[in-house]
Amino acid sequence: MKQEETTPEQRPPARLPLWANPRIGLVVLLIALIALFTTLRPAFLNTQLTLVPMQADISVYAVVGLSQLAVLSLGHMNMAVGRMAAMSAFASGLLHDRLDAPLLVALAGGLAVGALLGALAGLVISRTGVNSFVVTLALDFALIGLVSLLYATFTDGVAFNGLPAGMSALRTDTFADYCAGDVCGPEIPLLAPIALIAVLGVGLLFRWSRVGREVLMTGANAKAAELSGIPVRWRVVQAHALSGLLAGLAGFLLSANNGSFSAGVGDGFLLPSFLAPVLGGTLLVGGAVSVLGTVLGTAITQVIYKGLNLLQFQVDELKLYIGLVLLAALSLDRLRHVLAERRGVPA
Amino acid sequence: MTSTVEKTTRAATAPAAPPSRLRRTVRTSEFTLATLAVIGFVALTLTTDGNMLSAGTLAAFFRFLAVPMIIGLAQMVVLAIGQMNLSVGVLTGFCAMVAAWAMLEAGLPAPLAVLAALLLGAAVGLGNGLLVVFTRINAFIVTLATMTIIDGLRYGVNGPGTYQDYSAGLEELGQASLLGLPVVFLIACAVAAMVWFFFARTVPGRHLLASGGSPFAARLSGVSNDRSIVLAHALSGLLAGVAAVLTLAQSGSVNATIGDDLLLPSFAAPIIGGVALAGGVVSVLGTSLAAFIVRLVDVAQAQFAINRRWVDLIVGAVVLGVVLSGAIRAKLSRRSS
Repeated sequence: MKQEETTPEQRPPARLPLWANPRIGLVVLLIALIALFTTLRPAFLNTQLTLVPMQADISVYAVVGLSQLAVLSLGHMNMAVGRMAAMSAFASGLLHDRLDAPLLVALAGGLAVGALLGALAGLVISRTGVNSFVVTLALDFALIGLVSLLYATFTDGVAFNGLPAGMSALRTDTFADYCAGDVCGPEIPLLAPIALIAVLGVGLLFRWSRVGREVLMTGANAKAAELSGIPVRWRVVQAHALSGLLAGLAGFLLSANNGSFSAGVGDGFLLPSFLAPVLGGTLLVGGAVSVLGTVLGTAITQVIYKGLNLLQFQVDELKLYIGLVLLAALSLDRLRHVLAERRGVPA
Repeated sequence: MTSTVEKTTRAATAPAAPPSRLRRTVRTSEFTLATLAVIGFVALTLTTDGNMLSAGTLAAFFRFLAVPMIIGLAQMVVLAIGQMNLSVGVLTGFCAMVAAWAMLEAGLPAPLAVLAALLLGAAVGLGNGLLVVFTRINAFIVTLATMTIIDGLRYGVNGPGTYQDYSAGLEELGQASLLGLPVVFLIACAVAAMVWFFFARTVPGRHLLASGGSPFAARLSGVSNDRSIVLAHALSGLLAGVAAVLTLAQSGSVNATIGDDLLLPSFAAPIIGGVALAGGVVSVLGTSLAAFIVRLVDVAQAQFAINRRWVDLIVGAVVLGVVLSGAIRAKLSRRSS
């Protein structure tokens, strides 16, 4: 992220100067990382080897980040994202396994379970006023146990055997496999548009819809929101239900990516779920979200993972660098904030 | 062992005629937890035909209570200032791995390696605290980042390999008993007593609680909130180091997965024990009792050969139940007053 050099223009203070926009910094960082990895390993731009799997991963983890973002908008946390995803994937798997449900029905069932779990957490939080961290942490504990028990009861192991028809296509195919005459689609996995719909949906919700704006106002100041006639409790439930729904979608996307509905879905969701929104500039205090930033944050994380992987770094070093990048990015962001404040620009 | 801040605020809000000392004691959440612990213990003893009281079972019960207790306290110290430390679990593993490495590869004698583990824990905690203070980034995020970094470092010490036979003396200590109680448990109790003393009787401890209760009021009273934050994180790291030493002593072998299963219990113990996430309130006794209760669930699982996963389910339900009952009780008492 760049701060100095570009002198701030004499603009009305309402508009941010270019350097003070955190998203620009993320885009610059993303391009710099891609350039770096490409020079070190030209294979980084190999479509089959890197780009297609990376897009699939970005699709999954962008939705994971959005799931956390949905409650960060309130200043809440959802520690149970991973397990909500697992429960949702279990429901999808069960629907297909026992009732032979087609893909869309299984997906809808899974999403409904995710949304219900989220709504349950939201309901407990809004009714009792207990910290969201505690409630979702306890829910996570309970669901960890429940997921394994359910898989042990309903399957002969830790995964369902079959997949709904069409789901393996989501895993293996890109649009390049579908041609109309001579014109084939781009090398984009089929998962990407699903994630894109989620991104657009959440973006539109928080920018243009009444519910979304009211959730943000609740996050900024719950008391003021209540006094302005916003049904604060209901908005809390809705935001958590959205988080659960998106966690469910992420669980479905990962299951499609892995090729099975298994108990391990969602195990590694917690860290990326915070990483992406926070890198993207969403605050933990609530009241403001950045959907685009979350997507960029996800992309940066996945580019680092893939790049270091290609450079044959060990797992431990990968983690080390992800942590360091997060710290560096946040510190730079903090610096940008301080500089912006000093120049009298609200950033 | 409740901190007196809690007691004084309770006394202040109590009606004109303060209830008797006995009634006040009965009303504390520590009393409820102690009752629960005793009931659970007795029930478990009766249902297992007294198997719980056999020397072997009892010793094992307390030996594996030591680490959860200390890890709960490590989280509690940071909760006292209203922050969180996500790196406690991996830090415990990292310290244990480094100490084992120091003994096996660097040839350090056991006492020095133990000291190294403690210092390393405190140093990493100090780093967390300084990062929080200087960057002003939320501690949750800072420790999330350091958790990832330490996770990498922990694996980096010895890759997927296992260290064992690092010190006969240390392992002997892990198995030793004094007056029928395992020494590791007694050490944990001594550390807990020190933590209690720190919060109840020392100036930095009181300052720390003041910062947690109301940073603004603390600043007006001349307390440095920044110092409290750094101190709390350093202390949390030190306690993670203690947990690492106890792990080394009792397990006899360590690898890069040590500490993975400690993060969630580290929150469960203080939360069940009545420590507020908002800060300003600590309860060493409550945290220890909560760890005891969680351990009871663990033992019940082993005794009845229940699926391991029920434990998580039950602990989750217990945390939620405790939190809900606390919220309902607060609501009722507000309504009655």
